[in-house]
Amino acid sequence: MINKSYNVTEEKELVKASLSGDKKAFSEIVNRYQKMVARTVKGMLGDSVFAEDIGQEVFINLYYSLPGFRGESKLSTYIQKIAVNLTLNEIKRRKRFFSMFSHKANNEMHEFEIADHDTEERKEASEIVTKALLAMDPKFRIILTMRMLQGYSTKETAEILEVPIGTVLSRLSRAQEQLRNILIKM
Amino acid sequence: MNTSEIKNLMISSLNDDADTIEVPGRLEKEGISYNFSHNFGDKVLNKLFSAGLSIKREVEFVKYMNFAFYRIALTGVAAIVVLLISIFIIEGSLSLNSFLGLSDNYDESIVCLLTGN
Repeated sequence: MINKSYNVTEEKELVKASLSGDKKAFSEIVNRYQKMVARTVKGMLGDSVFAEDIGQEVFINLYYSLPGFRGESKLSTYIQKIAVNLTLNEIKRRKRFFSMFSHKANNEMHEFEIADHDTEERKEASEIVTKALLAMDPKFRIILTMRMLQGYSTKETAEILEVPIGTVLSRLSRAQEQLRNILIKM
Repeated sequence: MNTSEIKNLMISSLNDDADTIEVPGRLEKEGISYNFSHNFGDKVLNKLFSAGLSIKREVEFVKYMNFAFYRIALTGVAAIVVLLISIFIIEGSLSLNSFLGLSDNYDESIVCLLTGN
């Protein structure tokens, strides 16, 4: 994973303090993990304003579900699971909504803004990654997000997505095939 | 890193035996990073602590209402369509009289029906 691995005891103390109403402790959790959540949410939904709303919802959900966090997994894994579930729900919700009212589902979903970058080459690279991600099927997109943007191993990906390792392996090869086809056209 | 290198990196990150731990860092170096706005943390805390406990319930309520609305609206539309089809099959037309069930009644029979004579 790209993010620094935090001390488990320290994490537990932060959770404990948050549960007892310490706002600063929860704020620390938000600050530590917001970048990780941003990669998942924005990788899956594109860099839209909705992504930030979902990001906020992830931490609001985390706050209310902290009493149920038993510390069996790492806090980052727990947060990642919430982020993945909320993001996939949002994709389903949008798909349902747009399929009811318009045929532009994919176009609407794929609206994104590219952040300011210092060079053309960087902008192009960012566009390629974002466009390729958004062109993928959501169940493959989440695999690519976990591997490429989060740096998770196959085992960690399986744990977060709550699927067997065999399922992740088969999705990896199918995702790779789909990604190849998408990148050829770009 | 040029575009073909980026593409290769993306594809190779999906190899089942790939060590992907360095990939996010490499992408960030190329300017491919995802961040929320700089006051993201404050927004979350404001939502949590200024609006209190009601916010989550409110969000969930709106979500459920949204979902319920689609279900009810779709069921309603389906019922109306079935009703129209059945009226058309029974009455043979979709005129106002067909809707009111008056298509086969003559004035005299309505008077008889209403007065009982």
